[in-house]
Amino acid sequence: MSEAASEPPTRDPFAAYQCLAGRFDEAISPDGAPRAHTRRMLETLARLGEQRLVRAAERRETIFLQQGITFDSAGPDEGSGDRPFALDLIPRILTASEWNFISAGVAQRVKALNHFVSDVYGAREIVREGLVPWPLIASRPGFARPAHGIEPPNGVFCHVTGCDLVRDQAGEWRVLEDNVRVPSGISYVLENRIAMGRMLPELFGGYSVRPVANYPEFLFNALAAAAPSPRGRPTVVVWTPGPANSAYFEHAFLARQMGVELVEASDLVVHDGTCFMKTTDGLARVDSIYRRIAEEFIDPVEFRPDSLLGVPGLVNAARLGNVAIANALGTGIADDKAIYHYVPTMIRFYLGEEPLLANVDTYLLGDPEQLENVLGRLDQLVVKPTGESGGKGVFIGPSATEREMADVRAAIEADPANWIAQEVVWLSCAPTLTAAGTVAPRALDLRPFAVYGERIEIVPGGLTRVALGEGSMIVNSSQGGGSKDTWVLTEPDDDSLALAPGLTPQFEPPSLPALPQVPWATQSQHQQQQHARRVAAPPRAGIG
Amino acid sequence: MLARIASELYWVGRNIVRAEHTARMLDGLFLLELEGGAEDPASVPLSWQSIVVVMGIEDAEAAGSDITREGVIRSLSGDRDNPYSLISCVGAAREGARQLRETLPAEVWESLNTYHLTMRRRNLEHGPRTGPDSAYSYVKERSALFWGLCLATMQRDAAYSFLGAGARIEAAEMVLRMLRVAFPPVRSADDESLELPRRDGNAIALLRATGGFQAFMRSAAAAPRAEPVARFLLFESAFPDSVAGSVTQLGRLVGRIDPAGSTATLRIARLISDLGLRSRSELTPAEMPRAFREIQNEIERVESDIAARYFSPDDQGIQHAVLS
Repeated sequence: MSEAASEPPTRDPFAAYQCLAGRFDEAISPDGAPRAHTRRMLETLARLGEQRLVRAAERRETIFLQQGITFDSAGPDEGSGDRPFALDLIPRILTASEWNFISAGVAQRVKALNHFVSDVYGAREIVREGLVPWPLIASRPGFARPAHGIEPPNGVFCHVTGCDLVRDQAGEWRVLEDNVRVPSGISYVLENRIAMGRMLPELFGGYSVRPVANYPEFLFNALAAAAPSPRGRPTVVVWTPGPANSAYFEHAFLARQMGVELVEASDLVVHDGTCFMKTTDGLARVDSIYRRIAEEFIDPVEFRPDSLLGVPGLVNAARLGNVAIANALGTGIADDKAIYHYVPTMIRFYLGEEPLLANVDTYLLGDPEQLENVLGRLDQLVVKPTGESGGKGVFIGPSATEREMADVRAAIEADPANWIAQEVVWLSCAPTLTAAGTVAPRALDLRPFAVYGERIEIVPGGLTRVALGEGSMIVNSSQGGGSKDTWVLTEPDDDSLALAPGLTPQFEPPSLPALPQVPWATQSQHQQQQHARRVAAPPRAGIG
Repeated sequence: MLARIASELYWVGRNIVRAEHTARMLDGLFLLELEGGAEDPASVPLSWQSIVVVMGIEDAEAAGSDITREGVIRSLSGDRDNPYSLISCVGAAREGARQLRETLPAEVWESLNTYHLTMRRRNLEHGPRTGPDSAYSYVKERSALFWGLCLATMQRDAAYSFLGAGARIEAAEMVLRMLRVAFPPVRSADDESLELPRRDGNAIALLRATGGFQAFMRSAAAAPRAEPVARFLLFESAFPDSVAGSVTQLGRLVGRIDPAGSTATLRIARLISDLGLRSRSELTPAEMPRAFREIQNEIERVESDIAARYFSPDDQGIQHAVLS
């Protein structure tokens, strides 16, 4: 890479690109040629040259900082602080058929997870059938006793779900985990698209990319559909823990895009089992709350009594059916990494279908037999604490030191039920611009966002996160990962979008008069023109 | 006030607003076009062709602009030979302001002159390749600076009114033109059951192109679909760039010039009532094109009334001079 930097900067940034051995490369096929759907983009990138990419990268920082799009990072090498969300300049492209498969798989999964949450806090049929052990469910940190018996008005618990998908060595899609509590990242999907259009509009040339900008509408509709009873347009709010939260930008973004209030706990109050917000016109009833706050802080009466971020009585208001909370209370149970193991079982049990998307092979360490097997080959596995998110506490066997290995072994032995182990998935790679200005393969995942209202809507694409370090497989943005704009292409002959032939209405482009212009040379010419115009346009009849 | 000075002020206002709206329109369409192909009916029929139609450029090829993204952006951004380009509008505004140095506050003139000089120095031709948004944000910012300085430093006299009247006329005209192009008449007289195509892509682009997206989302009790967006851009007088908002402000400004009333003030008052009446009745997609056309015709008549009443006193004879 160092010798590359000394070469003239206009060369093809792909000159030194080498696919990683044993990994699926999303842009390059195994024979070294670009894949059909990426060829045009790679050609454009080669034509633009490295200098242009580096310049675009410089503008990127300015754009993101100016707009205040930042993520609170706790990287290993730096302290915590706002840094611009790192958007890679090379988009990831998914074909229409790939996307159809993914979205069908995610929708299936979300449907099953929703059934599961409803079941856990209701009839517990899946437990009575002996498919998921009750002690496991009840011991999960995400299990919320106060949620028992709360049935949301429209039966939806998991209003917003982000499934983390990866592609294995063979290019097969697999689900790595489900985020059903407060999945974040959608604002970056929308902002990335806008930023890409500003930085490298040429790349879009020749591609028909499905838009992502309607996500806020999906979300609003889902929140409105969840509202207790129809009283005209329901009052929806976004609840943020406050400006200190790492995803505050996203909370404000969603509120702005939906045109609803962004509230904090002090703006809300519960009277007689009904939730209100404090406005200049007095108390205004709130119908739907999109909460971006962990449920243990939501209501000091029912959850953590020391929570200063909560609204006393809110859970009771939800129980009475006077306010909808999204995601519903108790969805954390479906988010747990030990429960994840049972999702294929849920799909078969609730939907009577075979799962479209496979899980990664997972071992529950609460089981002594599996525990023993795992401890014997820790160096080949990934180990995760069950109740965490954001990549915290993840241990990757093949790249761990002796010391780390000993530490994690001790932690597992102390509390095996709170750990799972998974086979290593060698994440697929895609060309990514490195800090040195060259293009190299980097590992990535995909988080599509499913919104469950009257039906399940999935914005085409989702958040692609990319590990920026060479050989790294940690893509979490809180751990120094970056992102890519994710394009889903429209099908060349997509019938769902086209109108039936013969029915296509004909547009008559209106013919408008030229915008008036006044010549500036001399005033007399100006007046001449005024005369001319009036002569040409005799007074017409008034408006009907 | 001299008729010539009044006319120059009016046209400075028009040109500043014309540049700002053109920049917003190009920016909105540029981003829209990157997403969704031309095959996507949601994005029909806002296109680069539309912008040329909005500007009323009849013979685009003669005007030297081929109807591609690059062609239209080049022609409407930095082409000095195109009278509708950003650079020409700003140049015209500055040329007008040069003749108004005794009327306009020095700060306003200096700011406008800087605007013009910077636009000339900027490589707008280069824009299409590097992403033209920086030029558009520059135009928007400078426009805001111009009006901010006027607001802060100008006496609220007739000069201020003419400047503002030009701005409001131009804003109303541009928004109506965009509406007319975004919601064109559909030829489907034979089949009433024919559903209108989804134009929601248009609706959002239109909001972006008028800078009204957030205002719409905050004010309207509806999703950004074609009909509510069209109503918002026509009737929502709390949004300054809506047609009703512009005409209401225009009425106030012209009323200040002419407290005794004139054809122009009467016609504006009638237009305001007409908009109020229309806003209270239904506006079906099929009726939109006609409504837009009628309102736009009326605004054109207001324009000629203003020009006749204030800028061509020789036609009015002595009568008005004595009355006012």
